Amino acid sequence: MIITGVAVTLLGFLISVASLSIASSVGGRMVLVLVGLAVSLGGIIGVLNRAYVSKAIWRR
Amino acid sequence: MKRATRLLELVLIAGWSYTALAQTPAAVPPATAAATAAPITSKDLNSISAPDAKARANGDPDGSLTGNVTDIPVADPITDKTPNAKGLTIGDIANQVGQNKIAVNFVWTLITGFLVMFMQAGFAIVETGLTRAKNANHTMMMNFMVYGVGMLAYWLIGFAIQEGGVGAVANLGNSPVLSREFVVTLFGKPFGLWGQGGYFLTHGGAYDVFVMVLFLFQMVFMDTALTIVTGAAAERWKYAAFIVSSFVMGAFTYPLFANWAWGGGWLANLGANFGLGHGYADFAGSGVVHAVGGITGLALSMIVGPRIGKFLRDGKPVAMPGHDLMIVLTGCFILAFGWFGFNPGSTLGASGNGCLRISSVAVNTMLAGMAGSFGAIFYMWLRYGKPDASMTGNGLLAGLVAITAPSGFVNTVGACILGLIAGVLVCFSVEFIEKVMKIDDPVGAISVHGTCGIWGVISVGLFADGKSNYGGSWNGVNGSVTGLFYGDPGQLVAQLMGVATLIGFVFSFSFVLNWIIDLVIGQRVCERNELEGLDLPEMGALCYPEFEMKASSMGAQ
Repeated sequence: MIITGVAVTLLGFLISVASLSIASSVGGRMVLVLVGLAVSLGGIIGVLNRAYVSKAIWRR
Repeated sequence: MKRATRLLELVLIAGWSYTALAQTPAAVPPATAAATAAPITSKDLNSISAPDAKARANGDPDGSLTGNVTDIPVADPITDKTPNAKGLTIGDIANQVGQNKIAVNFVWTLITGFLVMFMQAGFAIVETGLTRAKNANHTMMMNFMVYGVGMLAYWLIGFAIQEGGVGAVANLGNSPVLSREFVVTLFGKPFGLWGQGGYFLTHGGAYDVFVMVLFLFQMVFMDTALTIVTGAAAERWKYAAFIVSSFVMGAFTYPLFANWAWGGGWLANLGANFGLGHGYADFAGSGVVHAVGGITGLALSMIVGPRIGKFLRDGKPVAMPGHDLMIVLTGCFILAFGWFGFNPGSTLGASGNGCLRISSVAVNTMLAGMAGSFGAIFYMWLRYGKPDASMTGNGLLAGLVAITAPSGFVNTVGACILGLIAGVLVCFSVEFIEKVMKIDDPVGAISVHGTCGIWGVISVGLFADGKSNYGGSWNGVNGSVTGLFYGDPGQLVAQLMGVATLIGFVFSFSFVLNWIIDLVIGQRVCERNELEGLDLPEMGALCYPEFEMKASSMGAQ
């Protein structure tokens, strides 16, 4: 889960960088950067953090 | 006599009133004065007289004789042996004027760097005050040694990665010694990734007065980012792991992003290469310093996990108040003072194009801090019925963190609005991180520096008013940085790209490095040491021995 979380977080960054090539308009780039941001946040909050919380010290 | 004085007063008041009412902008065009000015000739230079030697020998109590034409170095002086020499020339004067400008900028940058260095003391006591007494020595010692560990890493490796390819800095003398950037081509454009000159401050001509100024100023910024992390992982971070982690951050994590934003890297060139405003603009480091620190703190907090007792079995958070509110708020004041070095110092000069905007930067800084503390105090008062002291302090810091990136690009109204939003945002963020994400951040570092740092980066893309002018361009793009509210949506995209890099890349990079450290030496102290308090098991001495003895004799923890 940890490796998956890091991979998803990095994927978001790559989507944002790719927007420079995929889109040429400011609006198109903004949408893609926001999609990349959402994916990265999903990787941190939805995958990585969930993995750590599931085995947190207070659950024992 | 009295009547005459009164009459004079009335005349002066009337005259002043008329002048005030009749003021019109740009009444005297400066071009007229320039057109009538005659060029300086050698005759003019020869007519300049130095103060009489006899008068000078009697001392100079009012300072009118000290600092004159005799203090200008002359390249070809007239002496008994060289009666036909040129003497004082316009070239001599021009050289002195140039050196004076750079000297002013050196002094400005160094002194503001000294102010930023003193922020370490503020961070140390804010973090220590917000932790429990049994961990005070440990928390203080992390803040103390992060200064040395970070500096060593930065001197050895980090500075070269960050600034090795920055190129000439006009305000600091245009030295070309730092001009080796590792660049790859992506999408048909150059992407600067890291610098390659300046290792040990001697490599590649880096033994240079300009490099020394730049190193000192950038080093204290880097150390600020590192000390943020110690707060997020306080009260359960193994000291040995802290040293390794801080070294790695000072050598690689921070310098990489700083290169991309400030060292001539790809983020700064998003405007020149892809037409996105003026590229990623971060005047003093909401993103480079604070968000990098806050995001690394987030990664580390996940890895070390929450303190024992912070969450109940059902996941409900338990308040763990710090042991000294007085030093917390004192520390906040020290930080607010240091911020006058952080932001205005980022002009890297007080003389030169746009440098006089240091006044605007300083006022924006203090206003945003004020607005941040108001935002937090009102939020806490309305929501919980009391004006919470520690969150008010964090609100002040949140406003200061948020204004750091836009301080050089916005007006005072924008500064107040974004500071106020930061003050409220930090309260929401603390609640979200604790209640939703179940992450333990004893001092609120992730929210203050991470969340509000990101907000500061975004706010450049919204509030930059297009009135700043630092030499006619920023990041190689002509004109002034202008945000969405003033007509340039491209700048907002450049800022969001910076945020995506912070959240997507910096987080992943920090997480992987700290995960490896966790696997090799372990990041978290053992349960027994944590319950006992880290002062004795980790550091070998209690911070408050008498206090601890009394508490234990009464049966308290």
